[in-house]
Amino acid sequence: MTLNKSNLVASLSKTLPPKPRSPVPVWLALTLALLWMIVYDLELSFETLAYGLADMGEYFSRYGKPDFTDLSRYVHLMGITLATALWGTVFALVVAFFLAPLASRNFTPNMVVYRIARELLNFMRAMPDLLLALIFVTALGLGPLPGALALGVHTAGFLGKFFAESLERVDKGVCEGVASTGANFAQMVMYAGWPSILREALGNVLYILDRNVRMASVLGLVGAGGIGLALHDTLRLFEYGQSAALILVILATILLIDYASAWLRKRLD
Amino acid sequence: MTIVSTWRWPTPSGRLPLPLVGSVLALLLTLWLTAPIVEVDFVRLFASGGKMLAFAGQMFVTPDWAYVPQLLAKMLETMEMTVLATAIAVVISIPLGVLAARNATPHVVVYRLSRDLLSLMRALPELVWALVFVSAVGLGPLPGVMALAFVTVGFMGKFFAESIEVVDHKAVEGVRAHGAGWLQVRLFAMLPQALPDFVGTVMYILDHNLRAAAILGLVGAGGIGYDLVMSMRLFQYERLLLIALAIYLVVTALDRASDSFRRRILNGRKQ
Repeated sequence: MTLNKSNLVASLSKTLPPKPRSPVPVWLALTLALLWMIVYDLELSFETLAYGLADMGEYFSRYGKPDFTDLSRYVHLMGITLATALWGTVFALVVAFFLAPLASRNFTPNMVVYRIARELLNFMRAMPDLLLALIFVTALGLGPLPGALALGVHTAGFLGKFFAESLERVDKGVCEGVASTGANFAQMVMYAGWPSILREALGNVLYILDRNVRMASVLGLVGAGGIGLALHDTLRLFEYGQSAALILVILATILLIDYASAWLRKRLD
Repeated sequence: MTIVSTWRWPTPSGRLPLPLVGSVLALLLTLWLTAPIVEVDFVRLFASGGKMLAFAGQMFVTPDWAYVPQLLAKMLETMEMTVLATAIAVVISIPLGVLAARNATPHVVVYRLSRDLLSLMRALPELVWALVFVSAVGLGPLPGVMALAFVTVGFMGKFFAESIEVVDHKAVEGVRAHGAGWLQVRLFAMLPQALPDFVGTVMYILDHNLRAAAILGLVGAGGIGYDLVMSMRLFQYERLLLIALAIYLVVTALDRASDSFRRRILNGRKQ
């Protein structure tokens, strides 16, 4: 027993790994500091918020009596919005259908095309749809068509990315099987690509349709038709009853679409 | 299920599958019926191609370099709004997500109520809420942050709840067998398992919020959007070019970063 206890501890502590230290408090403190700096920099005053919250109760009570006298017009506007969203989604679908195989690593004919397609999708995704709508309104004039085009371009970027990612996950065996029959690029995509990801792709399309309905209802703000313009006008004129009715119409439609697409997606799985 | 299972493409008979043909036909019919409503007119579309080109041509101007400092300040404001709104939304949606997860909720009624609350919150787009909040608390970034946080709680709460619902039940039972209380089970069995999913969700929401924050200025809720719309309305293409470029760069950078980060988190911590 030449080894006494302190020696044992010392020799053990050399071989044992160091005690794990939790970095969580440090990160939390850093995050809080960053948030505090942001609040300071944005000059958000909690006083304004407190006063605002106090006033907000009174403010929201003005929406208490929805004015449904113009309901048929609102429903018609909502119909336009829905049609805009549908056309936008179809535009996106068509573009994504052609671009996605080019932008997926295992189907693309060569890497240059792959990079170009990726960058193109990325660019379409990066442009905000309201900016695109503004541009298309300038070029095409007012109306739902520029809205549909803007939604189409913007969501083609998302849809193309989703499709390309699904295509990259297609089982290698399936690809090799089809390739071994001497299939060319189009045949590979049509018989190995799309059939394998049909369900996933449908789910993605539903998600995009859902998103486009939400977005289409605000595109009216920049003159792209639909219910957003009416909402903007009534809010500007302080017609709270009509605004409340419009918001309720939008809300009801979106919830309906939400449930419908959730039901459809459950059936697809 | 039976319908879906017949959705095979190379069918044994070699003919196209009927459900697919049927749904495509139905879609085409709907498109044909709604075309007049959307005023889809391909002649007009192609006729305006020249105008689009002319517009694109106008974008090739010398950028207004004197505007850069203001642009940077506005972009910084946009990013700050994004981060702040996301942080607020995370804090609110973790408890809401627990309440809205079937296996973590204290009661079925609470589950249903919080689910409905979340779907109500995410139903309307940020811009509608921004319009309302601007009317309530005045112009500036505050209503923008409120609108972003409000809507993303709806999304994040739902995503959190879904990732809590798929945690492994064995770990939960193991912790419960040690005599852990209600809160301890949620904190030490459910949250750690759902954490990688949470981080992925937060990255996704951050990305979404940045895109949304870039246009909130349209209704006076802070950020770059106001300058964007004004330069468009006043035909200041030398500014518009810079703004579009800045948005593109920032959105792309975050997109790439969140993609690689999410992939790393979801594929295990260190690889």
